[in-house]
Amino acid sequence: MNRRTLIRALTLVPLSDWLARAGAAAAPATLKFGELYGRVTVRGVEYSDRIKALTGQSIQMTGYMAPPLKPKLDFFVLTREPMSTCPFCTTAADWPADIVLVIMPPGRELEPTTRGLNVTGRLEIGVKRDAETGFVSLVRLYASTVSNKA
Amino acid sequence: MTRLFLTAALLMGGVASAATFNIYPYQGAKLLAGQRFDLRIEAEGVKGAGDATVTLDGQALSGLTRTTTKPDSVEWMLRDQNLSTGTHELTVSFTDENGPASKSVRWYATPPVTGKAKNVILFIGDGMGWNTVEAAQLIAHPYNPESGLPTGKLEMMSGLSSMASVTTSSFDSALADSANTASSIATGQKILVNALNVYPDNTEDTLDNPRIETITEILRRSTGKSIGIVSDAFGTDATPAAFAAHTRRRGDYSAIADQYFQGGVKPDVLLIGGSRDFIPSTAPGSRRKDGTDWITQSQTLGYGFVSNRTELLAAGGDKLFGLFNIDNIPSYLDRAQYKGEETVKNFPDMPYLWDSTRKAIETLDKNPNGFFLMVESGMIDKYEHPLDWQRAVWNIMEMDKAVAYAKEYAKTHPDTLVLVTADHAHSISTYGGYDASQGPGKREAVGVYQDAGFPTYAQKDANGIPTPDSPRTYAVGFAAVPDYCETYLGRKVFLDPTVSNGKTGAEAGYLPNPKICEEGAVLRVGNLPPSSNQGVHTADPVPLFAFGAGAENFFGTMDQTELFFGIARALGVDATKNK
Repeated sequence: MNRRTLIRALTLVPLSDWLARAGAAAAPATLKFGELYGRVTVRGVEYSDRIKALTGQSIQMTGYMAPPLKPKLDFFVLTREPMSTCPFCTTAADWPADIVLVIMPPGRELEPTTRGLNVTGRLEIGVKRDAETGFVSLVRLYASTVSNKA
Repeated sequence: MTRLFLTAALLMGGVASAATFNIYPYQGAKLLAGQRFDLRIEAEGVKGAGDATVTLDGQALSGLTRTTTKPDSVEWMLRDQNLSTGTHELTVSFTDENGPASKSVRWYATPPVTGKAKNVILFIGDGMGWNTVEAAQLIAHPYNPESGLPTGKLEMMSGLSSMASVTTSSFDSALADSANTASSIATGQKILVNALNVYPDNTEDTLDNPRIETITEILRRSTGKSIGIVSDAFGTDATPAAFAAHTRRRGDYSAIADQYFQGGVKPDVLLIGGSRDFIPSTAPGSRRKDGTDWITQSQTLGYGFVSNRTELLAAGGDKLFGLFNIDNIPSYLDRAQYKGEETVKNFPDMPYLWDSTRKAIETLDKNPNGFFLMVESGMIDKYEHPLDWQRAVWNIMEMDKAVAYAKEYAKTHPDTLVLVTADHAHSISTYGGYDASQGPGKREAVGVYQDAGFPTYAQKDANGIPTPDSPRTYAVGFAAVPDYCETYLGRKVFLDPTVSNGKTGAEAGYLPNPKICEEGAVLRVGNLPPSSNQGVHTADPVPLFAFGAGAENFFGTMDQTELFFGIARALGVDATKNK
């Protein structure tokens, strides 16, 4: 797949509610992987003040697509660095702590890519288990657009 | 003999063949007299109802529980058995609509002996094969450039009482993983890859497999000794788990966490890394599916709980539970030298392995009956897998300082045995020098033979351990690799050697990590299956270094299962006794 078709595959038609607000809204805030959590202790992780303030809003994150959990890419894991670890592939593997689950809009799927991605979407936090894969996420982005990093 | 001919006649007549059997303990198993095990017999290819007779040394065995896991199988289970000294034969005879079938297995139980050691301190460098130790030796004690003479030795290699070269394998493979190898040391048995201290069975449930008693459980049952487990890996990882848990699947992390506190060992000292499996599912970051909170519950069980170096060093009491990170304790280089924000931001005060080892020994030493302590350096293997030889090798230097403390203790406590070994090897090798001044990824900067020269690591950190940045470094590589980019030099921020191609199933594969390739690198075409994203364990032998009481039980070339019997002989374990 050449770059142009990849970008075409990646760029989604914005969602209608996003369109409705797009004119009025400023550019979405950018959230970095280092800003997801405040304190991390042996008793668990605490969300950062910044992520708590941004919850429910449309934000932008930049990262890499982790090895997919399943063939259908209606969601994927966004990581700070490109990686090859897939906890579902080997018994001993583990995810890094700072990962974000990106949920694609209904009916939309993504092409797998090893390139950096810019993801814009609605931010949601809290412990949530995916019924199909058992995957537990702490930070989720309900994507409106996904594009290749410039 | 008649029966054999009959079976053959049935086969030739085109009649369905008679049942076949799996029996555990397997044929040829060697155990300690009195060592507990679960007997399991599985008949496969069964037709219709059948009757079985099971005899041990000619005497009918009763009390077996009969089950039917599959339409064409029958199983019999008898838990918590043990054998007297000597050779034993178990025979199962079974008749169903396919006719009669039988199988016999022979086991040997070794006699109790008198031992010299009261205490055992067992160090396991995960993935620390001979060549990995040698790489650490070359960096910690470089040759004298004037003469080529050695300038010193690692603590684990000096002042030995004895040593051995140890071969590793699994019940189901010539290659091994950390679960079955640590289990072999713990039980004296060959174990399935990814399994902890259990024999195979034909059921889906990973926690119902036939169990075999571990050295730590035997000591708990038959002596008044204390037990300690120390590891820098996440707390439920295979090596520490092998000394306290039983499961067919090393990934049963929550069950392993529970078994630490509810199983047959209940270690007095448990100082480990990642806490995800010990905190309730309501805590973000937990890997549990229930509300169990072992941090709180351990304290009601009488454990003092510590979560950083300061608390660890100040801790008193006889029972100690420590968790020092939410995941693995990062590598030595990351903690002591690179100190990247991601390493130190949330966990600025993590103990070194020598801190945990010392506190464990000081705590266990309060028991006049002695102790068994296992100390794992888990990050050696964790960084050999992604081909990051610097992070792996520097962790050996950290472990070596823990070994130094244990050797000092053994000097003043001569009834102590100190063992330093590995569970399995990796395909690592030192093959030259590298002129780091030319930057990363230059083949022409690799010097072989006389051009290798004498790489030296002159700068030392606050702990007296060298720093990896030297103008002339060693060229170290791996034989079993995926496609990846070789830079010859390390990096302050860890990167995986490969990235996923984003496909699943048969199309899943891995590509060299573009971020590493951009540093300046030689593209190495891999030789592992396309499904391998990193380096793998090898069948190479691993070292065993022994110091102190009972060290003579470890000598020459040994199979890994013999380590269990060597430890039992050194301690004079009598597994036929209950305290």
